[in-house]
Amino acid sequence: MIRDIPSGIHTYLVRQLPVPTAFFNRQLEVVYASDSWIAIFGSLGKSVLGSTVKELAPNAPKRWMDILENCLEGVTGQKGTERVFGPDNQEIWYEYANSPWFDENENIIGAIVQVTDVTQRVRKELEYEKTRILLEANAELALIGSWEYDVERDSLKWSDMTRQIHEVPLHYTPTLESAIHFYKEGYSRNTITQKVYLAIDTGQSWSEKLQLITAEGREIWVVASGKPLYKGGKYIGLVGTLQDVTEITLSEQKITESERLLSTVVDNLPLNVYIKDLESRKTLVNKSECAYMGVTEPSELIGKSDFDLYDARMAQVSRDEDLYVMNNGKSILGKETLSVRKDGSTTYFLSSKIPLLDASNQIYGLLGVSLDITDLKNKENELRDLIDVTSRQNAKLLNFAHIVSHNLRSHSANFSMLLELLAAEEDPEEARRIVRMLTGASDNLMEALENLQEVVALNASTEIRMTPVNLRGAVSRAEDQLAAFLGANQACLHNDIPAELTITAVPAYMENILENFITNAVKYRHPERTPEIRLSARKAGGKIELSIADNGLGIDLDMYGDKLFGMYKTFHKHPDAKGIGLYIVKNQIEAMQAKILTCSEVDQGTTFKIYFNDAV
Amino acid sequence: MMQFDSICVIDDDPIVVFGIRKMLQGAFPDATFTSYENGKVALDHLSAAVASASPLPRHILLDINMPIMDGWQFLDAFIRLPITEPMDITIITSSIDPADLQQWETFRGLTHHRLEFRNKPIKKEDLIAIVRAA
Repeated sequence: MIRDIPSGIHTYLVRQLPVPTAFFNRQLEVVYASDSWIAIFGSLGKSVLGSTVKELAPNAPKRWMDILENCLEGVTGQKGTERVFGPDNQEIWYEYANSPWFDENENIIGAIVQVTDVTQRVRKELEYEKTRILLEANAELALIGSWEYDVERDSLKWSDMTRQIHEVPLHYTPTLESAIHFYKEGYSRNTITQKVYLAIDTGQSWSEKLQLITAEGREIWVVASGKPLYKGGKYIGLVGTLQDVTEITLSEQKITESERLLSTVVDNLPLNVYIKDLESRKTLVNKSECAYMGVTEPSELIGKSDFDLYDARMAQVSRDEDLYVMNNGKSILGKETLSVRKDGSTTYFLSSKIPLLDASNQIYGLLGVSLDITDLKNKENELRDLIDVTSRQNAKLLNFAHIVSHNLRSHSANFSMLLELLAAEEDPEEARRIVRMLTGASDNLMEALENLQEVVALNASTEIRMTPVNLRGAVSRAEDQLAAFLGANQACLHNDIPAELTITAVPAYMENILENFITNAVKYRHPERTPEIRLSARKAGGKIELSIADNGLGIDLDMYGDKLFGMYKTFHKHPDAKGIGLYIVKNQIEAMQAKILTCSEVDQGTTFKIYFNDAV
Repeated sequence: MMQFDSICVIDDDPIVVFGIRKMLQGAFPDATFTSYENGKVALDHLSAAVASASPLPRHILLDINMPIMDGWQFLDAFIRLPITEPMDITIITSSIDPADLQQWETFRGLTHHRLEFRNKPIKKEDLIAIVRAA
């Protein structure tokens, strides 16, 4: 029967159909096909007409085959969408419509198939679906709800998430007024009201962080955003989102509060606190540290290292400490350090450096804490000085007690012994001898008392008047005074002192000191040499060092070093050795805040070095 | 080592040396007196005597405060001398410093010599008793 259908006009009409269309006979062979159909299926390189469905679409799903079979049975209006893969394996979606093909006698003679390429539409639908799912997921995660207001119908639609945020049941229907009423009275409600009307009036969109009270009565923070919708330039409603930011806001508030607490504590600690990065640059400083560095704003110190703030030597010491702490992960705790600022002022610190670890236990810097202990340190030094003075005074007192106990006692013991002997003496000649001895003992006692008086006077004078004394001049005067004595002993004195050196001293003490050392040098001369005394001086460490060197007997310092300047200590068998001169000299030197050092070698000579305060 | 009646006074004060000799002469008319003006001189002589096996004094009367070498420095060196026979040494000093008494105690524990301690002024009877007791 199919063969009977004429081609000609039918064929012509069918070929021009815009929708790809094919007519199948009952054997499912193509009888007619539009050009557009052929364009799709004709790429197989053989004639479309006369081919079977299986030949045209070998992969055609069974479902479609069933549908075609159904068409032949008279089932109409069957549609479907199928995915097929094109020659380049690209995805193509076809929507097809199948209907039975009737002849004029209403007999089903085949099936008519129309296909439409709906790939673009399907893709868009899929994309839309994906987007919707993603949006929903995001909204849920970010707690973002949406809403839409239709002005014409005066209806407000909330998304499920928006309802959830308001803690209302899912069937709840809000109105614009009730929605606004959820906002907390006062700032939040005023703001939202104003924003909504502003949007309606002027088309301005909004986004505000506001407080909202849920149906359950909970106070929450939300970011409410919205903008007006227009269609053809005509305002038709509003659309917007609502995000629950309570947790974020609260944790932000907590962080802010903690930070504020921490910075208040750190800033107001009476300690210098700083944080340094791995390059020893300051990343945080507190008020005390700013005040110490003499700046008003932490920003003046941030990013700077010790090399910017201190001299290079100080900075290197500090950097070495930093590196020790950061490389070893060990703290330096309570170390006493002396900090010298660029202006030269010094501060004693009790400082600690503690390594800072990040979340993965990597050291990223250090925390420094320093306590200014300058006052404490100064007090300690004052105390130490006081102890020194006290122990020196105590030693003098003991010495004095010793003089009284030993020296005066020895004189009185002599008197008592001689008197006892005198009383029992019958020989007048011997008695006269004893009386001569008594007289001598009496003279000795007088001298001892005079010496004591001198010592007492020296120690009792609380105020001594120090004046600048030219050292070379003082030595010259002593030389003049002793000229006769030096000449008689053929002693030679060399005054090598530079003319410009001037010390702070008591002139009378200086005279006595110089005369004592010079006469001692001559008194304890070496029997095989003529005495030579060389006086020289130089500046040394802020002091003036006076050297008095002789070529005399020398003193065995190992044996007598501790007694050299003691009272009534003599080390040479010499009739004039009384052991008082050096004792007084030492006291005078100390009274002038000077110090004395002794170097001596037996048979070679002795050098005394006295360190005076420079008058300049 | 043979001893004979010899008394040695070590003191830098000639008055003391004179007095001691005068007080003892009556009680010990046969005694020989030697005196040294400081520890160093005494030590030099006594060391030489020990070295040459010469007789040593029967009794040493020792002052403490002397120039060059004081009584304690002398004792410190003297007790090291190789003298087997215990000797009598009496310290006679005007010092009432407790440190000196302490030193005496210390030296007593260090030596086999008999050490006595007396303060000046010393009475004639006391001095004679000490020297005789030995």
